[in-house]
Amino acid sequence: MNNYALVGRLVIGDDGKTLTQTSIPRLMNAYDEQAIEAALRFRDAGTECTIAVVCAGAESGDVLKHAAAMGADEIVSIPIEATTVDYHVMGDLLAAYVQSSGGADLVLCGRQASDDDQGVVPAILAERLDMPLVSIAREVALTDGGGVRVTRVTPDGDEIVECAGPAIVTISNELGTPRYPTMAKRMQARKKQPTVVEVASLGLADTALQPRVTLTKQFVPTVQSSCQMIEGASAAELADALVAKLREENVL
Amino acid sequence: MSGPAVVACTWGVATSDIEELLTLGRTVAGSLGGELRWLVLGALPEGATDTAGRFGVGGVDHIEDAKLGTSGSDAYVAALAQYCTDSTPQLLLFNQTFQVRDAAPRLAARLGVGIVMNGIAIEQDGGTLRVTASAFGGDTRTVYDLAGATPQLVSVSANAVAPEAAATATNPEVRKVAVDLGAVEERVRVVTPPKREGPRLEDAQTIVAGGRGLADAANFKLVEELAAALGGVAGASRPIVDDGWADPSQQVGLTGKITRPGLYIAAGISGASQHMVGCSAAKTIVAINTDPDAAIFKHARYGLVGDCLEILPELTRAAKAR
Ligand SMILES: Cc1cc2nc3c(=O)[nH]c(=O)nc-3n(C[C@H](O)[C@H](O)[C@H](O)COP(=O)(O)OP(=O)(O)OC[C@H]3O[C@@H](n4cnc5c(N)ncnc54)[C@H](O)[C@@H]3O)c2cc1C
Repeated sequence: MNNYALVGRLVIGDDGKTLTQTSIPRLMNAYDEQAIEAALRFRDAGTECTIAVVCAGAESGDVLKHAAAMGADEIVSIPIEATTVDYHVMGDLLAAYVQSSGGADLVLCGRQASDDDQGVVPAILAERLDMPLVSIAREVALTDGGGVRVTRVTPDGDEIVECAGPAIVTISNELGTPRYPTMAKRMQARKKQPTVVEVASLGLADTALQPRVTLTKQFVPTVQSSCQMIEGASAAELADALVAKLREENVL
Repeated sequence: MSGPAVVACTWGVATSDIEELLTLGRTVAGSLGGELRWLVLGALPEGATDTAGRFGVGGVDHIEDAKLGTSGSDAYVAALAQYCTDSTPQLLLFNQTFQVRDAAPRLAARLGVGIVMNGIAIEQDGGTLRVTASAFGGDTRTVYDLAGATPQLVSVSANAVAPEAAATATNPEVRKVAVDLGAVEERVRVVTPPKREGPRLEDAQTIVAGGRGLADAANFKLVEELAAALGGVAGASRPIVDDGWADPSQQVGLTGKITRPGLYIAAGISGASQHMVGCSAAKTIVAINTDPDAAIFKHARYGLVGDCLEILPELTRAAKAR
């Protein structure tokens, strides 16, 4: 879900936990879009590769077509009822898909979903596939020998790390704006059919499909306002009144 | 046999973060009718036993190993997995640091247990653990029920709870816990570590932050000047960081720094929840905005309706006049 479109306009549905469709356009998670952009930049730079975009969920059609329009070679849908999927189930499904399709040289994910903000799936995927995890990247480069060199956006500034491939890298918004596909590409993508992979064909145990975390409720928190407006006829008066107030309250 | 009800796991965080986590841990352990333990990975923080006693910790478990202390998460995940197998806790709590964002979900995957990130409250309801988390960049709260195998894991957001010492102090002992990290080879290698420049926003007592209302990159210096006059640090909203008016290290909010200053002055900032996540723990918030209906006034203690380009220099003058 793309959060930018709906900041401050959220309406919780009758079930008390999901957002109503009218208040949220169904768009690709912005961070996932940036992950696709990161992959496309490899190809732009001349790396020969196949870019597959995989989406597990109930209605992945439009999201996958957008991925195809951006430039994905292959779009893959794993149909499953969203309410039965937690991060473990999602991680297991995606890991099983990667394994069943012959592995991947590099797995790119958005750093987190911009609806629930959890950011757990890439770590689960890394464990399941036994791949190193490099999170919150602004830049990804390939090294000789199939590894990656990644610039991570840490709270202390940029950190550059390297690891051998295949690896899981999560992409942050600092990568930059993802490309917006042209009309022609969007028209073309409309005809592209996703490869459908049935959950049953992935050979997962029943226990792997058992969610451990269930969303039971969602609400918009209320803020108790207690703002005192500072009065003044000019900027200078306002400033003097505020500084006096802050000194009186020992804030300054 | 069952282990401790709650284990608060910390490494590389400030004492105030530890105190928040121990406060939450003590409450939850109480509702589970069990013990709170504190697991320290790496060096013991200064005054650890004293902190533990004041916050009602039953005992401190200490894991020290040369392989800990890297920015990678392989050694931490291995150490925590061994600890969980040996100590069988019911619930593990973490301060949500940059590293915990990787380590905690990996641990959950390795143990096959439930996890919630961005946690802000935890309660117990007839055997079900119910965790409230922040979502949609702070616009909503989600409530999750955790089921299945233990330990369940919760990564707790900064400033989720206010630290509160226990009514009765305890007298905890530090127990060395041995783990075998012989097989761990950290797979992610640091080539260039991050360089921190200037004072940390997270530690600042006074922050003056500017947003799009500054209208132009050149006006960010008005924010810096007031910050300097108040002995504080300059901060910024995300759009002006994206536009290059301020440095990424100055960004306050969901994808920037989570701060908790005594005084936070927001100039030309609308008060979007993604920004407020990073400053709502400030003791006093002052908002300067031309729009009297701006959301920021709902969060502020003091509001000034007016042009920040005029008010900021006047505030600098008034702050310097003593
Ligand atoms: C996933 C995600 C993560 C995000 N993370 C962050 C984050 O970490 N930090 C963050 O800040 N934002 C973040 N955002 C963006 C956030 O939603 C807002 O868009 C952003 O905080 C708005 O910045 P602003 O207040 O500077 O700009 P605006 O919302 O444009 O507000 C400008 C304000 O200035 C006022 N103004 C205009 N002129 C003047 C003047 N002359 N004097 C005084 N006031 C004036 C206006 O009335 C307005 O209120 C994130 C968004 C998403 C989707």
